[in-house]
Amino acid sequence: MIQVENLVKYYGTFAALQGIDFQVPSGQVLGFLGPNGAGKSTTMKILTGYLIPSSGTVTIDGIDVLEDPIRVRKKVGYLPENNPLYHDMRVDDYLGFIADVRGMSSGGSKTSAIDRVVDVCGLKRVWRKGIKELSKGFRQRVGLAQAMIHDPEILILDEPTSGLDPNQIVEIRELIRSLGADRTVLLSTHYLQEVEATCDRIMIIAHGRIVADGTLEELTGSLPPGELKVTVKGPREDVEKQFAELFPGGEVRFRPAEHDGEVSLRIESKPENDENVLEAVFDLAKGNGWKLLELHRENATLEQVFRRLTMDPVEQPLVMGGSGV
Amino acid sequence: MSDTLVILKREFRSYFLSPIAYVVGALFLGIGGWLFFEGLFFDTGQAAEAKMESYFGLLPLFFMVLVPALSMRLWAEERKLGTLELLMTFPVKTMHLILGKFCGALCFVAVLLALTLFYPVTLASLGNLDWGPVLGGYLATLLLAASYLALGMFISSLTQDQIIALLVTVSVLLLLILMRQVGMLIGPWWAEVFAIASPREHFSSIARGVIDLRDMLYYGAFCGFFLYLNSLVLEAKKQVG
Repeated sequence: MIQVENLVKYYGTFAALQGIDFQVPSGQVLGFLGPNGAGKSTTMKILTGYLIPSSGTVTIDGIDVLEDPIRVRKKVGYLPENNPLYHDMRVDDYLGFIADVRGMSSGGSKTSAIDRVVDVCGLKRVWRKGIKELSKGFRQRVGLAQAMIHDPEILILDEPTSGLDPNQIVEIRELIRSLGADRTVLLSTHYLQEVEATCDRIMIIAHGRIVADGTLEELTGSLPPGELKVTVKGPREDVEKQFAELFPGGEVRFRPAEHDGEVSLRIESKPENDENVLEAVFDLAKGNGWKLLELHRENATLEQVFRRLTMDPVEQPLVMGGSGV
Repeated sequence: MSDTLVILKREFRSYFLSPIAYVVGALFLGIGGWLFFEGLFFDTGQAAEAKMESYFGLLPLFFMVLVPALSMRLWAEERKLGTLELLMTFPVKTMHLILGKFCGALCFVAVLLALTLFYPVTLASLGNLDWGPVLGGYLATLLLAASYLALGMFISSLTQDQIIALLVTVSVLLLLILMRQVGMLIGPWWAEVFAIASPREHFSSIARGVIDLRDMLYYGAFCGFFLYLNSLVLEAKKQVG
């Protein structure tokens, strides 16, 4: 359970965080989205005790990060941004060091902890290799193994898939999803599909403020619904003229068609009118003998939500704490 | 295993993976050995004596360059690699990190020094060696190296750039070594006052085998002061990132 209250962080006069509040209940996978410089990494660094906030409190399982940082750090596994590693060490030495520093006594518990992460992260093949010889994907796995060697209740992962190729991204994503089955995970990313694929809940930060917080459905449902997309095969002038007559209010916008002989257009309409509009379009096409190739409502995507919320300088929160609290 | 010891172990082992440490080791043993045997066999001015005083006398200057080359990476490299963020988020107190790193580096110096035990053993086989001053000299050298390391490590915590850490540390050490001469610019009385702050002044009497509590306290305070400053730098980094 992570509890963050009114977190503010200034770097000099620059306000990196301007009052962040959220809670992550145990067992939830929370995805942090936001443009570069929005405050994702700053928040994570404060949660792990690497940075001290200018004001506000962070408690993890009821323990204040500022009051007892050592106890909090024991509960947390952390993969910092850019996955820092000691490149001169071998994988086995490095993980041995991490296990020691995490206070695992040499012997049974240490060996079994290392065996477990080597197995989960698929490090068997590179076990005795130098970290500098490893590909980026394997380095990322070593970083993840570092973060989870002590089987933490809480995992904080700052851009765990940045710089990986699509195959590696899928692997790491599956790994995170399997980890999230029985623990709290907080991850930040720039890949919107990643949060769609791995997270129970999404939080978007911009300019040091939370601008959206909820499940994928809540976020995409919060945007005004998209337009109706229509593609018709027929003579262009004829189609354009007749559609303009059918919707005299200017709800129709024509788009360049993807193929010759087709006309593509968008119709602005409220979802509750869908039935009438769809029927009218269908009848129009049928009456003129055009072929109706496409007719559907475009749903708002996470990308649209993200762009809308993070492009405008100040935006009211859309969904607050819908599923989180 | 205590956390300080874990950090110590990693730091110590990392020197054996570092080319710089091998260069420092080779220079120390190579040039040091030459200085030692040159002073012993080819010094025609005086009767050859089975003692190591002239060798120990050169170490404060020799270490002025070699020790900063060992201390420069201690924090600067962690900052550059970003591993400082890992270290600082492990369940280890900041002071334990500092002590672990400091002792790890000191252990490496101790290993280099241990390799030179070959000199007094050679001497003892050639003549009648008084082991008292020799052991005093080794103790003094270790204390001297410790004080240089504490200073160098503090300066290393201020930058990401190892070369900057090296140059600044060498400059500060040079100033400290020349404290007496600096004080002389003001007056002879000041020369004595300034000399108290110089690690070199406290070196000579221990190196002669005279173990004075004041010299011990000086080295202890010197190391403690810079290790404490080091912890202030790391704590301040939590504010500014």
